Amino acid sequence: MTHRYLLYITIVVSMAFTAQESARAQLRYENSLSLSAGAYAASGFGTNHFVGVRYNYFFLGGRYFVEGSLGFGSLRSRVLENVAKSQVFSSERLYAYEFVFAYDAFPSGFLPFFAFGVAGLNQGGESTFAGVLGLGKRIPLAGFLGTNQLGVRYDIRDQIFSQRINDSDPYIAHNLVFTFGLQFYF
Amino acid sequence: MVFSRQLRIAAGTFMSVLCLLSTQLHAQEVPQEPVVQAPPKNLIDLNEGVSFEIAPHTGLMGSSGTFGLKLSMNYSAFTLELAGEQVIGRTANLYPISVNALLNLSTRGQLIPYGTVGGGLLLTVPTNTIGDQTVSTLGVNFGGGARYYITKTFGFRVEGKQYVTSVSNDRESKNELLFFQEISVGVTFMLH
Repeated sequence: MTHRYLLYITIVVSMAFTAQESARAQLRYENSLSLSAGAYAASGFGTNHFVGVRYNYFFLGGRYFVEGSLGFGSLRSRVLENVAKSQVFSSERLYAYEFVFAYDAFPSGFLPFFAFGVAGLNQGGESTFAGVLGLGKRIPLAGFLGTNQLGVRYDIRDQIFSQRINDSDPYIAHNLVFTFGLQFYF
Repeated sequence: MVFSRQLRIAAGTFMSVLCLLSTQLHAQEVPQEPVVQAPPKNLIDLNEGVSFEIAPHTGLMGSSGTFGLKLSMNYSAFTLELAGEQVIGRTANLYPISVNALLNLSTRGQLIPYGTVGGGLLLTVPTNTIGDQTVSTLGVNFGGGARYYITKTFGFRVEGKQYVTSVSNDRESKNELLFFQEISVGVTFMLH
């Protein structure tokens, strides 16, 4: 058990140092494309896989950026399927597009960036407008595979919206998105 | 279980070595912080020739959220624009598609205010009602806004607009004028 904690600490410290040293090399790039995958926890439906693509434009030394993203997931709920034997939406298809503005106070450090914006959610054919709060971190891999244009990133987003199911009273729902991705700077 | 733990430790060690290795590789370079320079006085000059812009935006039409994209062609004080939007409603989505003409009130500098007028189609697509069909109407719009450029290729954009359309009321056999107000904020990417 002790070995495992030591290992985790080593990984975190290593990544922190890596970010500090190599992020500077990528500040000169203005654009990036990312492929991300992870989990989407839809309020009331459970957690399913999620994949997406993100475009970022960086400005003012990389401390600020805007991002547009599109992701696809599922609303599958085993509880609804197996226990309630019901389906809320006409399909389980889910896709979400986001536009966010982010502030990265320490692009060369190990503290995360903070993001806010809006999202359009399509849950089983029904569209919803949502606010978005989140954080994340870009971890550049300078010199990896002989290029300074690659990096990894993680993102955590909270999509906040008014949910109404089967003419129920509206309530505030939080869909949480956790993704890890590969980032290409250009 | 033992194999699984060993596998995790091996994977973690590999990641650590990878991260440290990339640090060493990068240590041979001399890192340079980019110098954030004050933008020149005439950051944007629309008189230099034809330029194109792509402007994604979001906002509110009434109490409904909107997403949209504008494609523009600038030539001095005149801008021609193709705009498409999605207005997310509770029972239907509205898709205004319009062609707009903009008059830029300034053609140089960081801040470019403008007035706009245009027209196009407004498509109303029901989302969760059975049997209803898409309704399309013609509409006009007018308003104004401003673009503020941070760099020669990137800036922010705010806009306010009034949409006017006419829909037929089958019950009373007459046409009704409908008015929608929209405010939007977004970014703009200039392609020279």
